[in-house]
Amino acid sequence: MAREKTAPSTQPIGVGEPLLSIRGLVTEFATADGVVHAVDGVSYDVYPGETVGVVGESGSGKSVTVMSLLGLIPQPPGRIAGGEVLLEGRDLLKLDPKELRKVRGKEIAMIFQDPMTSLNPVLTVGDQIAEAITSHAQVGKDEVRRRCVALLELVGVPNPSDRFDQYPHESSGGMRQRAMIAMAIANQPKILIADEPTTALDVTIQAQVLEVLAAAQRETNAGTILITHDLGVIAEMADRVVVMYGGRVVETGSVDEIFHSPKHPYTLGLLSSLPRPNVDMERLLPIPGNPPSLINLPSGCAFHPRCHLGEGRSSCRTEIPPLHQLGDGRHSACHYHDEMSEEAARVERETGTTIEGENP
Amino acid sequence: MLTYALRRLLISIPVIIAATLLIFVAISMSGDPLADLRQQPNITQGQIDRVRADRGLDQPAYVQYIRWVEQIPQGGFGEYMISPREIWPDLRRVATHTLQLVIGAEVIAFGIAVALGVASAKRQYSVFDYTTTTISFVGYSMPAFWFALILQVSVVTIWQVTGIRLFPLANLSSPNPGTGFAFFVDRVHHLILPMASLAIFSIASYSRYMRASMLEVINSDYVRTARAKGVPERKITTRHAMRNAMIPTVTVAALSFGALLSGAIVIETVFGLDGMGRYFILQLNRRDPYPIMAFLVITAVVTVVFNLIADLVYGYLDPRIRFD
Repeated sequence: MAREKTAPSTQPIGVGEPLLSIRGLVTEFATADGVVHAVDGVSYDVYPGETVGVVGESGSGKSVTVMSLLGLIPQPPGRIAGGEVLLEGRDLLKLDPKELRKVRGKEIAMIFQDPMTSLNPVLTVGDQIAEAITSHAQVGKDEVRRRCVALLELVGVPNPSDRFDQYPHESSGGMRQRAMIAMAIANQPKILIADEPTTALDVTIQAQVLEVLAAAQRETNAGTILITHDLGVIAEMADRVVVMYGGRVVETGSVDEIFHSPKHPYTLGLLSSLPRPNVDMERLLPIPGNPPSLINLPSGCAFHPRCHLGEGRSSCRTEIPPLHQLGDGRHSACHYHDEMSEEAARVERETGTTIEGENP
Repeated sequence: MLTYALRRLLISIPVIIAATLLIFVAISMSGDPLADLRQQPNITQGQIDRVRADRGLDQPAYVQYIRWVEQIPQGGFGEYMISPREIWPDLRRVATHTLQLVIGAEVIAFGIAVALGVASAKRQYSVFDYTTTTISFVGYSMPAFWFALILQVSVVTIWQVTGIRLFPLANLSSPNPGTGFAFFVDRVHHLILPMASLAIFSIASYSRYMRASMLEVINSDYVRTARAKGVPERKITTRHAMRNAMIPTVTVAALSFGALLSGAIVIETVFGLDGMGRYFILQLNRRDPYPIMAFLVITAVVTVVFNLIADLVYGYLDPRIRFD
């Protein structure tokens, strides 16, 4: 993955008015075992042209957050219990379903994890890309085809004109994911959401698809939300990073800050659990314990049962830490974030490594 | 698609040949075809011997089979055992009537079942969903002849109370059905009650399959993709969900077509229709193996043809099958 990082866009990152602003979003699911608090007061912003990487383990609420703002949560059992999502000042959560449909695919487009199941098997690839265009505008048939072929070419599909008439099962996973990206950028969206876009792909294909995604973003200058649990992908693609745990945001910062001086023990745990090619390690270093139950979230800081820093400190068990502002766009939801430098040094000593992951 | 269709068609030929062999073994070889003649006091041994010689019953089984089967492609099933009358004209007449009834019932059942299944799945666990579920179970458990009688009694009651005769209770046509379109309308009018009696079971069963596969499809990733693209909800249902959900339902409907044919036997008896079912019962009572074998061959062909149609519809709906 020795690819040049995307060229910085003309706009400075993280200043000015955010395009998309998620404020205190709460999403719950009613299940037989109780209410699952999948998203518990999540806030973050996306500025034009930047890539926000959202990391966290499975069940941390990173996907549910973006599905909520697009109205893709099945309701019931899902319920958006609070917060607001402002797209250029307009609250998406207050739109009626018809208006929200017009936002989906036009102003906010999404790329899903599994290209093998995310395309309809009985419609041609071309039909499915064309649908993204015709759902939002009256365009003639020939013009639609011309635009779709151009899109397929843009995402690097060979023989785009032939591919247009083919069915998804005639393409490989990588080609299908390219078609998904073509579909997503068909209407020049303001926000592009990629939910684990490379997780289901072969490692050799992953880098290519990331490249296409970066090109697609350059083309549209869309603010991008890149959801992944792969820190390598974050290091390569993201400008800013949002770390989520147990349905909450625990740390935000630029990609350099997150990788070089993490201010939350969970982020530090993620970084130190990475395999390192330059260090001879017998075993990987996992974060002890298990991801939290979203029905009975641990009291106080949700991470405290697995945290070294919080051991024996009562405030960690009793008080939910607020998202402390540490700088411009830099936040940490840790009571003891000012002890993180020593904590990082301790981990470095004990493991004989440096904590920064892949140098971004 | 053309190679796919041709291959399906070619596969049907050995299936039909195998069917004729089984039919011949089961009917002609399993007993004495002349048994009924022997019982009749006014038939002499000389007449029996003549029939046996005419029919080649004194020859080895394979010769008999070939003699019987080779006349079928020429459009005939020979004559009845004792009368010099051709079987095929009778059989063609009753088969036409039965196919009108059964295909009508199947088309109505499939259409209603798909609509009900989609509507139930879209409103899962609603009052509508529970109501159709309950009615389906009733329809599924109800004997067809009983439902047919209920329909007849209702029509008669309405007639008695209001003086309006909604539907005829028997026969395929009025005494003077007219010609052309008037004949067609008259025929449909006569067939509505029998088709309804026959379709109720199919509606109940197909709509269950449709609901189940629809539920699976509307929670699939590609429907979520369509929604994320901003496709209008109505188009998501028709273009993305229904077409995929219909694939298993088409299979079930095609496989059930044989059952519908056997259901027609009962319904034709209740409504006094001159169809294959009644013909079969009649010939069974006369213990003449030749028309029975002819009936079974026609049934086999119809079943194979409908499986073929199902395969073609399947190929149309699902490109993954078409291209393999």
